[in-house]
Amino acid sequence: MKWHRLKAIAVKEVLQIWRDPRSLMIALLLPFTQMFLLGYGVNLDLKHLPVCTFDREGSQLSQALFKHFQASQYFTIARNVTSYAELTAAIDDATCGFAIVVPPDFSERLNDTGSALVQAILDASDDNTANLALGYATAVVTGYSANVQLHWLDRQGRPLQQIEPMVVQSRVWFNEDLESRNFIIPGLVAVIMALVGAQLTSLTIAREWERGTMELLVSTPVKPVELMFGKLAPYLVLGWLDAAFCLAIAALWFAVPFRGTLFTLFFTTTLFLMVVLSIGYLLSVLIRSQVGASQVALVVTMLPTVLLSGYVFPIDQMPTVVQDITYLLYSRYYVTILKAVFLKGSGIPELMTPILFLVVYAAAVMVLAARSFRKRLD
Amino acid sequence: MNGSQNAEPQIVAEDLVKRFGSFVAVDHVSFRVGRGEILGFLGPNGAGKSTIIRILCGLLRPSAGRALVAGIDVARDPERVRERIGYMSQKFSLYRDLNVEENLKFFGGIYRVPRAELAERMRFAIDMAGLGGREHALVSNLAGGWQQRLALGCAVLHRPPILFLDEPTSGVEPASRRRFWDLIHALAADGVSILVSTHYMDEAEYCHRAALINRGRLIAIGSPEELKSTALGGDLLLLECDALGATLAVLQQAPGVIDCSVFGDSLHVLVDNAERSLRELPDYLAQKNLPPTRLARIHPSFEDVFVQLIAVDSAERRAAA
Amino acid sequence: MFERIIAIIIKEFIELKRDKSARFRLIVPTVLQMLLFGYAATYEVYHVSTAILDLDHTQESRELLSHFTASNRFDVIEMAHSQGDIAAAIDDSDAVVALVIHAGFAELLRKGQSAPLQVIVDGTNSNTALIALGYINTIAADFAKGYATDLAQRISGAAGARRVQVVVEQRPWFNPDLNGRWFFVPGLIGTLTLVIVVNLTAFAIVREREVGTLEQIMVSPIRPVEFILGKTVPYFVIGLFQVALIVAVGTLWFQVPFAGNPLMLVLGSVLFLFSTLALGLLISTLCSTQQQAFSLNFFILNPFFILSGFSFPISSMPQVLQWLTYVNPLRYYLVVIRGTFLKGVGLSVLWPELAAMAVIAAILLATSVLRFRKSLE
Repeated sequence: MKWHRLKAIAVKEVLQIWRDPRSLMIALLLPFTQMFLLGYGVNLDLKHLPVCTFDREGSQLSQALFKHFQASQYFTIARNVTSYAELTAAIDDATCGFAIVVPPDFSERLNDTGSALVQAILDASDDNTANLALGYATAVVTGYSANVQLHWLDRQGRPLQQIEPMVVQSRVWFNEDLESRNFIIPGLVAVIMALVGAQLTSLTIAREWERGTMELLVSTPVKPVELMFGKLAPYLVLGWLDAAFCLAIAALWFAVPFRGTLFTLFFTTTLFLMVVLSIGYLLSVLIRSQVGASQVALVVTMLPTVLLSGYVFPIDQMPTVVQDITYLLYSRYYVTILKAVFLKGSGIPELMTPILFLVVYAAAVMVLAARSFRKRLD
Repeated sequence: MNGSQNAEPQIVAEDLVKRFGSFVAVDHVSFRVGRGEILGFLGPNGAGKSTIIRILCGLLRPSAGRALVAGIDVARDPERVRERIGYMSQKFSLYRDLNVEENLKFFGGIYRVPRAELAERMRFAIDMAGLGGREHALVSNLAGGWQQRLALGCAVLHRPPILFLDEPTSGVEPASRRRFWDLIHALAADGVSILVSTHYMDEAEYCHRAALINRGRLIAIGSPEELKSTALGGDLLLLECDALGATLAVLQQAPGVIDCSVFGDSLHVLVDNAERSLRELPDYLAQKNLPPTRLARIHPSFEDVFVQLIAVDSAERRAAA
Repeated sequence: MFERIIAIIIKEFIELKRDKSARFRLIVPTVLQMLLFGYAATYEVYHVSTAILDLDHTQESRELLSHFTASNRFDVIEMAHSQGDIAAAIDDSDAVVALVIHAGFAELLRKGQSAPLQVIVDGTNSNTALIALGYINTIAADFAKGYATDLAQRISGAAGARRVQVVVEQRPWFNPDLNGRWFFVPGLIGTLTLVIVVNLTAFAIVREREVGTLEQIMVSPIRPVEFILGKTVPYFVIGLFQVALIVAVGTLWFQVPFAGNPLMLVLGSVLFLFSTLALGLLISTLCSTQQQAFSLNFFILNPFFILSGFSFPISSMPQVLQWLTYVNPLRYYLVVIRGTFLKGVGLSVLWPELAAMAVIAAILLATSVLRFRKSLE
């Protein structure tokens, strides 16, 4: 490999990037803005879920129950309905995703048998929200139930004694506030970096073929390896810039706790960038039309990264087959790495496995790309 | 051409064949180009000129036959060949978003023109292209002729002994074309072997030798004079008359007439012997009530020659099929 | 005017037909992605990897733990011997949850005092953590109730602390088993189609601009509107095809029920496709090279996914972002899809969404046509 050729290619690439300011803007500004925008949007926490109440009894007890719901930060009472038909309509048109129904014999049953039911009707088309809502609703009702219990005991003149035989004491590690943002944002950075990398290099070779400059270049002594490194170098720099922006926003603006070291971050990010850029490059080598390369890139890089990398849907809950497939997905490793570096403070030794995967990945893809590049027209 | 080294042909094609599927693009083509020689490739579009050039550059692999460039077998060792050649492709292929100087520097780097020499070679290329003072102009802002000359400059930065130029003068206005050929001659005088393809028939005049390619076959090769005098296989007469169509039909049967075709609003008649036909034809035609208004001998242009050769070749193919 | 439009449509289809890999690219990736993402996209917690530390070694502690081991939601990956083991298990991400029963647990229970079950949760994925905690609380409550009942029966009569409690009876509508797939699989119709159609449309026009054939076409008597219609109709057809393909995979393979009216889905899809086509068109007017279109696509599509309600509930977003979702056609389409698939609702409920998509499509289309005309001058 000759240095002067590599340098010539890199210089040319830089000039071309510089002369296409629109692409440069897109490459630098958009990831930046995405982080801001989406950092606020990526949120699985339940807040202010609209709730409908259907009080079929209308007693003091039932009203007290609804007050508990109103007080909870997870729920907002959207409407009080007076019939099942109204309730159905409210759920159908999504006025509320959740309805509490107090039966007409609520107080009676409570006094007679000591146990009464309230119905929680859930719009389960969004099962996750439904699940979470149910959990919180149960907690609210349990709190209410404990209150009822205490009052009852009080009236009976009985000593307030602990009725619950067993209590769950839970402690949360690493993401103590259980802020979904804390775990999604590092993943979001990974996703954005994967997108950045892919769109930087996926069209680079195809573009030259379509414009005709590649035919000339190929008739020169330049070697595929030189071409590859010469082209990747400038994009690596762009990638670093993007990564720096996004990571800074994550840590400084969104205050995602950062417990790792900058060195680990830099090292793993560089590694990931090399993987992502060379994958884009490989696509560009294999598919000589820009349209084709773009479509494949979207399918192979964007969608899997958004849906399979573990950034929002946990990989360990996927069917085994799908889990095995995610081993092929390079972005998965970076998502794991970023989450661990941010929230757990993991260093390179703990991250050996994903790092090794990335190293092998990068090497394999680059070798493949260099070899696949044919200096021939047929 | 003297001395054993100089006698060694720089480009050798032996029985080259290239098939794309069942389509034969290059059909057993053989020729040689010596040092300092300009060989022109002429022929209709799709004849295979570009394909042959691409094979010689190592961009395509021959299906059969051998190609030697600078003594190196192109199919076996294309990389070594690439150091010794310069190439201008048919589609303009410099970087439009780079300026003149940046393009030159780029190719200088690719071909490893030594630093010391690079400045001088760049100067040479810029002067040759007439781009002095416009070194920082973006290529996309240059007019066609300048782009072509710049592309040539980039191709010769590293002083290759062999040049392949694929339709370099397409879409360039006549004055620029002539200027371009002057440049090529200057390079050839320096000892560079040049293989140029063009679809302007008259440009065959500028070459040391010209080869006519039709449908993958090399149907004629020789110096311009040879081609014009012998290739036709006859003498050419110009005939003007009133009834072109009828005259044409009659002439096909006339004695001593080999072939006849319409040229603009007159007829070109190919005859065995000019003097005889000049004497006999007017009467022959007058007898058929188609007296010519004018009949004279003309020198065949390349267009004449090639049209005739291609017609003959097509007829032969039909007969063989 | 029609002939010119038809001419362009025919040309597009011919080019598509000739491009053999195009056919492949329009079918195989879609199906593959449906299968992959359909299985991957879920927030359901099917199994929680758990580490257990029993420092009590009594019948009660073992019984409590057996509730967890018996449950198929919990995957006991380690029976630890020390706190250190537990810490390591969570640090190394082997276990998401650790249950610790300290010595003296059974004694506290027998004395009628409150005995703690210590739970350590890896909050890295807070969603999973919350759901896991929910399961744990349920199982713990079961155990507690069972124990209390037992105890009450044995001490029958004496203190007989009467328990008063309110219990939640859950009634999930539309998705009785809280099947995670039913939420996401229909949603994939919108996301996959959006990606494909926007990309193809944007590229189709930009390519002509980059290659230079656009100039050629514009010199002809064709008018910009005709050109645009001619270009977009083929991709409209492709989009419909994609929708059909994905619906087929969703209903036949994933068995997501379809409770509503197919016509509603078609109407919604048509309007959605108009918006996506218009979006692709708008992108094409902003770019002069395919590279730019490509990059812009990536960065426009990502927010569209995230700010649509596909994976993150809109109600949990800050107000500003919630307003932004109003201009996202995917947001409305998801409501329509989920409405027709799972809820079985019809026009009376969904008309606002349909209207919104129509308005967005109209505005985007008008803007792109105007921009397109300008870009030619």
